[in-house]
Amino acid sequence: MTKELEHNFVTDLEKHQNIVHKVCRLYTNSQDAHNDLFQEISIQLWRAYPKFRGEAKFSTWMYRVAINTAITLFRKSKRRVQTQDFDTVLFKIQSSEYDDTEEEQLKLLYKAVKQLSDIDKALVFLYLEDKNYTEIAQTMGITEVNARVKMNRVKGKLKKILNP
Amino acid sequence: MDQLDLLKKDWKKQESSLPKLSFEDITKLIHKKSSSIVKWIFIISVLEFLLPHLVYFLVDFKKGATKGYLELGNFYIVINIVFYTIVLVFIYLFYRNYRSISANSNPKVLMQNIIKTRKIVKYYIWFSLSMIPLVGGVLFYKAIYSEEFLEKIPEGTNMMVVWGIVVLVLLLLVCVFYLFYRLIYGTLLNKLKANYNELMSNGNGESLQDI
Repeated sequence: MTKELEHNFVTDLEKHQNIVHKVCRLYTNSQDAHNDLFQEISIQLWRAYPKFRGEAKFSTWMYRVAINTAITLFRKSKRRVQTQDFDTVLFKIQSSEYDDTEEEQLKLLYKAVKQLSDIDKALVFLYLEDKNYTEIAQTMGITEVNARVKMNRVKGKLKKILNP
Repeated sequence: MDQLDLLKKDWKKQESSLPKLSFEDITKLIHKKSSSIVKWIFIISVLEFLLPHLVYFLVDFKKGATKGYLELGNFYIVINIVFYTIVLVFIYLFYRNYRSISANSNPKVLMQNIIKTRKIVKYYIWFSLSMIPLVGGVLFYKAIYSEEFLEKIPEGTNMMVVWGIVVLVLLLLVCVFYLFYRLIYGTLLNKLKANYNELMSNGNGESLQDI
């Protein structure tokens, strides 16, 4: 039974691992920290799995646990030396359809998002993942109105970071 | 175009550059040890429950203190019954709250549950701290007015000075415990406190007081 449960879980996580990787990219600045957070989220998901009864989609449930781990449960491991300009490497735009200005702008945007607080990052993450305000509110445990207000504030904060 | 929308447009493109872990990699990962703050809060809290008892245990071994205790008669029995009943209630509440902490809930509920669990331990700490002057005071009273002690001190010693020292010692003990507790949770819970306050800050959410 446990073996079967584990098999199902790992299969599901393998399929949806992108969600976890994306959370790790937003919340960490080095490959080591990324791996640490990925591990902690995986452990938390596995622990919570027996209680996951399929009332939500597996992926929806993953968003919640991953965000919980990133903003609440995860204790950052000892401060590591940050990889130089890691963001730029991480989010290197590979597509050729962008012109330089847009590429530059995106780099700055990613950097700006990295400077946001844990909560703001979570909101931005859900927004980028195409979640509507009802879903964002449900995932975070706040009201829809609150989610909208906060999202507008985040947009304001980003503008401020980009145009100081 | 909105800056976030520009980002959104690009966001999905990064999927190809994300790491890919195999089935075996993930299986290995989930069996590793967690470093979650809840685990640490739990370990520290259990230590907090045990530590004062270890202190009493050690004190009990010192003959003088035991004698002092025993001379207290009924007071000793009553205070023990009250003390352990309260401790048991605390342990039950703590365990119940700890069980309610689950990554399945949303961040708001999760943070609230962690804070609630911390509050229980906080009340226990206050209880333990208040026991120091209470029990300490009674023991010192017994010791100071024992014949042995009165024989040893020089004649004409001002008892007010003796009591002043007692109060200082007890205060110092309370302060040490208090600082110890602030230090541990300050580092552990600052991020959580800040995040919770931020999540709830919109005029309509309850803000987090001291935890």
